[in-house]
Amino acid sequence: MLDVSLLVQMLLGALLALAVYLPLRAGQLSLATPGFYAIGGTVAALLSTRAPALAGDGELYPLSSVLLELLLALLLAGALALVIGGPVLRLQGIYLAIATIALVEILRVLLLNSSWFGGAVGIFAIPQPFDGPEGYLGAYGLLLALVCWGCHWLEQQPLGRAMAAIRDDELAARCMGVDTDRVKLLAFLFSALVAAAAGVLAAHYFNSWNARQASFDASITSLAFVVLGGSRTWLGPVLGGLLLTALPELLRPVGDLRLIVFGLVILLGPVLIPQGLIPRGLINPKRP
Amino acid sequence: MKALPPSPELRRRQGWALSRAACLPILLLLNACGGSNGNQPVNLKGGLPVGAVLSLTGNANVYGQDQKIGLELAQAALKPGSPLPLQLRIEDGGSDEAGATSAFNLLIKGGSAALIGPTLSQQAFAADPIAQRRGVAVLAPSNTATGIPELGSFISRVSAQSSVIAPLSIAKALELHPQIKRAAVFYAQDDAYSTAETTIFQKALTEKGLKPITVQRTQLNDQDFLNQITAALQLKPDLVVLSLQAVDGGNLIRQLRELGYKGTIVVGNGMNTPNIYPICQRACDGILIAQAYSPELPSAANRAFVASYKAKQGGAIPPQLTAQAYAAYQVIAEAAARLNQQQPLQGKSLRQVRLLLNKEILSGSYDTPLGRISFSPAGEVQQESFFVAQVRMNTDGRSGRFALLN
Repeated sequence: MLDVSLLVQMLLGALLALAVYLPLRAGQLSLATPGFYAIGGTVAALLSTRAPALAGDGELYPLSSVLLELLLALLLAGALALVIGGPVLRLQGIYLAIATIALVEILRVLLLNSSWFGGAVGIFAIPQPFDGPEGYLGAYGLLLALVCWGCHWLEQQPLGRAMAAIRDDELAARCMGVDTDRVKLLAFLFSALVAAAAGVLAAHYFNSWNARQASFDASITSLAFVVLGGSRTWLGPVLGGLLLTALPELLRPVGDLRLIVFGLVILLGPVLIPQGLIPRGLINPKRP
Repeated sequence: MKALPPSPELRRRQGWALSRAACLPILLLLNACGGSNGNQPVNLKGGLPVGAVLSLTGNANVYGQDQKIGLELAQAALKPGSPLPLQLRIEDGGSDEAGATSAFNLLIKGGSAALIGPTLSQQAFAADPIAQRRGVAVLAPSNTATGIPELGSFISRVSAQSSVIAPLSIAKALELHPQIKRAAVFYAQDDAYSTAETTIFQKALTEKGLKPITVQRTQLNDQDFLNQITAALQLKPDLVVLSLQAVDGGNLIRQLRELGYKGTIVVGNGMNTPNIYPICQRACDGILIAQAYSPELPSAANRAFVASYKAKQGGAIPPQLTAQAYAAYQVIAEAAARLNQQQPLQGKSLRQVRLLLNKEILSGSYDTPLGRISFSPAGEVQQESFFVAQVRMNTDGRSGRFALLN
C-alpha cells in the first residue's frame, strides 16, 4: 500500500511536526508553522515559474536553482520570524496560539487576493528538479536527517537546556539567568527555517502551490503530529508526523470507514498515551 | 545532584517505546520495495486495469458520489460481453491536492493503464503532472478550468470547459427576462473553480452590457452569507450570478431568498448536481444553469444510460456529472477494445499499452450519453451541443429536476 510518494509526504509531515515541536520545546505554543511553510513554497513556486534564468538548459530543473530558492526562502522566513517574533513572543499560552493563527490567516488572505500569487488557483506547472519521487525522498530524507541531528545536538547544548528550563518554569529559568526572550526567539526562528525549507521542496513535489497550504487546518494537523508523537524529545514529533501522514493511506483497505478510524486514533491517542508515543526519558534518561 | 540510574521499570518502558519507534521505519522500507516500473507485461487477468480517483470525502464528495454512480453504471452496461473488459478500481482522492496525488500514485503503481479523474480542477493541477511523467493517460470527467489538457500530452477531458458553457446561461436569463439591468456577482475567493468561473461570467455579463453592480466574495467553508447578501441587496439587483460549489452555493441561495430577493439566479457548474436539492430546498426553484448534458438527447446511447440510471435511482433523471463519468469510462473502454482488435495487448509491456491507449483515446470518436464526442489533438473535448436547464422543485421541497429550456 505504501509507495515512495507516500514516504515523501510522511517525511514532509515529520518536518512540519519538528517545526511545531521546536517552539514547544521552549514552552511556546506557536501555530505559525503553515505560514512559514507557505512562504517557503511561494518563494520556490514564484522563482521556478517566473524566473526563466533559473530554468537551466536540461530537461530537469537544476538543483542549484532549488538551492538558491532554499536560501532565499530561509532568509525571508528567518527575517519575518525575527521581526514578528519579538512582539508576538511576549504573549503566552493560548494568546500566543491565537496571534500565530492570525499570522497564518494574514498570509493566506494575502496570497488569495494577490493576482501575483495566482489567487485561489495558485501557481501551477512548477518545474521538477527530480525525475520521480525517489529524488524527493532523498532530498527530504537528507533534510529530515539534518534537522533531527540538529535537534538532537540542540538537546545537549546549553541553549537546548535553556529551552527545556523555560518550558518547565519560565520565571525560574529567568531567575537562573536564562535570557528567556532570546531563547524563545531562537526557538521560533529555528521553527520558521525548518518549515520554510520543507515548503520549498513541497512546492516542487506537489507541482502546484496555492493559499490553501497555509490554513488553520494545516496548523491543527501539524499540532496533532506532536501531540500524538510526544513533545519531550525530537523523536516524538518525527514519529507522530510519519504515522499520522501515513495512516489515512494505510487505512484505504478499510474503505469508507478510513477517516473515522483515523479520527479515532487522533482522539484516543492522547487519552490512552498522554505523554505521546515517545515518552519523557527515552532519549536522555539522565536528564533530570 | 547526581542523576539516579534508570529503574528496571523505566528501562522496560524505554525498550517498549523504542521497539514501537523502530517498527515503523522497517515496515515502511519493506513496503516501499517492489511495485510496477512499467516494463513488465500488462496484467490482463480480469480485464485491462483502469483506475478512477473521485472525491468521495471532503466538501467535493457531493460530486464524487454522482460520478461513482456513473462509473458503476458504465461498468455494468459495458463490461459483460466485451472482448477486453476494463478492471475498474475506484480510489478516494479526498477534496484536496495531497489526497488526489496519493491516489494517483497508488493507482499508477498498481498497474493502471489509464486513469479517470480527479474530481476537482485544483486537484488536477497537482496530480495530472505525475501521470504525465509516468506516461499514463488521464481522462478528466469533471475538470472545467482553463488549461487542464494543456498540462500534457497524456491529459484529456470529456467535460467541456466553463468558458464555453457558462456564458450560455447568462444569455438564456436575458432572453427570458430582457428587462434585467442590474447584475450582482458572488464567488468563493479561496476556491480555484469559483474564481476561474466568475471571471468568465463577469466577462459574459460585460459583453451583454451588464457590468456587475457589485462583486461579493465569500469563502468556500462559509455558512452564513448575511453580510454579503445585504450589501448586494441594498443595490437592488435583478440578476444574481453565483460561482460557488454545491454546499456553500446551496446555502447562499436559501439565505438570498429568505432575505427577500425575488429576481433571477444564474449558477455555475459547481451546483450542477441534484445533491443541491436538500441544501437549498424550495429556494432552488427557478435557478438557471448551463448544461453539457441533456437527459432528453434522443440517441440510443443516452436512452440506454437514462434507463439504467432511472432503474438504479428510483426514476430520477441523471445529472451531468454522472453522464460525464459514464462517458469517460465508455471512451476508455471503446478505445481499449479497438486497440486490442488492431494489435492484441497480451504480452505487451505496461508502458507500451499506456502509450498506445492514450493515442487511441485521442484519435477516436464516441457515441456517448453526452452525444457524439471526439478530442482535439491537445485533448480538449469536442462536443456538438450544450443546453440550459432550470431547476424545478417538487412540492415536498426535497426533490426536483433539471428541466431543459429550449
